[in-house]
Amino acid sequence: MELLSSHFLAVTIFLTIIFSHIVKRNIIIVTAYGIQSSAIVLLLFRSFLETKSLAMLFIVILVAAIKVFLAIRFFVGFVKKYEAGLSSSAYLNLPLTLIVVAALSTFAHSRLFMPLTTIIPGNTALLSLSIAGMLISLLLMINRKGILSQIIGVLSLENAIVEFGLFAGLEQSPVLQIGIMFNILVWLIITAVFSSMIYRHFGTLEAAAMKNLKE
Amino acid sequence: MEPVIIISILSLAALACLVLNRLWAIECVSVGAAVGVFIAAVSLSLSVSTQPQPPIASSLFFSVDSLAAIISLLIGAVGLAAAFYSVFYLRAEMAKGIIGFHRVKQYFILFNLFLLAMFFAVMVNNPILMWIAIESTTLSTVFLISFYDKPTALEAAWKYLIINSTGLLLGFFGTLLYFTSVHSTSGNTLISWDMLMANAANLNPLIAKIAFIFVLIGYGTKVGFAPMHTWLPDAHSKAPAPISALLSGVLLNIALFAVLRFKLLTDAVAGHAFSEWLLISFGLVSIIIAALIMLTQQNYKRLLAYSSIENMGIAVLGFGVGGIGVFAAITHIIYHALVKPALFFLAGNIFLKYSSTKIANIRGIISALPVTAGLFLAAFFAVTGTPPFGIFFTKVYILSACMGTNLFAGLIALFAFALVFIGFFRQVIAMMFGEKPAEMPVGEINRLLIAPPLLLLAAALALSFYLPPFLSELITQALGKYSL
Repeated sequence: MELLSSHFLAVTIFLTIIFSHIVKRNIIIVTAYGIQSSAIVLLLFRSFLETKSLAMLFIVILVAAIKVFLAIRFFVGFVKKYEAGLSSSAYLNLPLTLIVVAALSTFAHSRLFMPLTTIIPGNTALLSLSIAGMLISLLLMINRKGILSQIIGVLSLENAIVEFGLFAGLEQSPVLQIGIMFNILVWLIITAVFSSMIYRHFGTLEAAAMKNLKE
Repeated sequence: MEPVIIISILSLAALACLVLNRLWAIECVSVGAAVGVFIAAVSLSLSVSTQPQPPIASSLFFSVDSLAAIISLLIGAVGLAAAFYSVFYLRAEMAKGIIGFHRVKQYFILFNLFLLAMFFAVMVNNPILMWIAIESTTLSTVFLISFYDKPTALEAAWKYLIINSTGLLLGFFGTLLYFTSVHSTSGNTLISWDMLMANAANLNPLIAKIAFIFVLIGYGTKVGFAPMHTWLPDAHSKAPAPISALLSGVLLNIALFAVLRFKLLTDAVAGHAFSEWLLISFGLVSIIIAALIMLTQQNYKRLLAYSSIENMGIAVLGFGVGGIGVFAAITHIIYHALVKPALFFLAGNIFLKYSSTKIANIRGIISALPVTAGLFLAAFFAVTGTPPFGIFFTKVYILSACMGTNLFAGLIALFAFALVFIGFFRQVIAMMFGEKPAEMPVGEINRLLIAPPLLLLAAALALSFYLPPFLSELITQALGKYSL
């Protein structure tokens, strides 16, 4: 059961988001996202164990199917198809990136967010970690020049919000969760199509190469 | 009943476009669906205007209040005009060899899905379902923005997808925070707007304030508030003209509607001063940034897109200052939703004739496209707030409300309005007059491309002098709910 400990899973999610900023190889970023999504699935599975609700079990299976299997399969295919072994460069160098990550983590633990981190007083540390995860995911999207990093940044932000919702006791009804997962699935499909269109037109997967709209 | 009819018609139309393989059949289905949906939207507005407040037209999934009814009516009207215009616009593009049948088929499938998502967003009873619907508007339009499959269009669509998805995720986070007021009833219950409002007293005011900031940034990205507006000029200028018309005319209002619904919840626990201050700030910044960029704009579709940012800024400024400003903001939304699509349709006519969106390449529209030119000038005067068009009165009301509560904000807004007029006027005059290319024949590409903008402008002008009793009643009801 230690594997299902809230703290262990929350720290895993947080570290995988930070890890995505540090590593250079795309396949490792994808693996980090896979571990992060698996941690979310395990958090949802904990909710199932508590509620014994079949609808919740269905959600767990659905999230695992979309975020862990489908998304990872898409990303691995993406890396192989476009031979995008090395991740794109970032606007900030590594030491600066780590300084900003540290600053964002501190900011997430500041008094400003106290009304949010005390929604469930026993989960203050976990909720602070979730907020830090959101901010660092936003940084991933802004700082990295590659479209794979931007996609994983958006999905990590979504994971961090789901994590916050779970720790704050704000789980939505199964109907809504299915709707949200359907949206994510469509979003993934669209980004997959767009990635190939971008590669076809620009010959690269660098978002920074798209500079035609400067008027 | 009407919400179900609207959703059913548009779902079936999208499905029919998917299976049909004749151009005329796809066109007939799409225009027919738009007619049906418009009639249903009128019927919905009539029934909402005659029923007591609240709740109105309520069911398990749908709840349509007066402002939602007004926006539904606008989606129906602009959707019908856009469907009709699309038929002849796309035929002209097919004749030029720009697109083929499969593109047109794809266009109408996504067009119907886009209308479906917009209607669903305003009529649905649940904030999370509304979020799903608004996110679906992004997903259904992203391929319409990249419709021409050019690098610039692709870039605009990617920017649109990433910025809006990120913004909407922040909006989703803000939405979740409002649910802290109904902890005990969450789980398997679908939490409606009414339930959130009834439990507003349980919401921590500090959480409400933080939640509103996230909602304002999140949905505000979709509205096009500066500084989150950067996707808007790119997307609106690269999409086909009828899609730009829908994006500018109605989609922005839907995201604004989401912000206003959360404003009600926030005001109930944190007082209205907080949200008022934020709305005024975002409104002023949007107006100023749009005005400054319009002065030096080189592309007429981007010019219109920046004008939309300015007009959304004016509307939100009206909601921020309160009092008569709210009445002016609601009517401003109506006038802008009719005039801006007309301008985009006319921009489409200009594009078909000149094959360029660069202002420097467009000269002598008055000689080449006399009817389009006349309507474009009229629409320009309408959108910049020249009498006798309704936007003149809404701007005056908002300015007077501003001067009463915040003189400094009023003076800034007045200065920005003048800048917008000068910047817009300069560009319009440059395009209208001068020598048209010698080899260019005189006359409209197709007279039927004139009808939708003409009707929308006529409606905007008529509504400037006379509001039908049902619309007047809806505005009064909305005023009661959304004013301070």
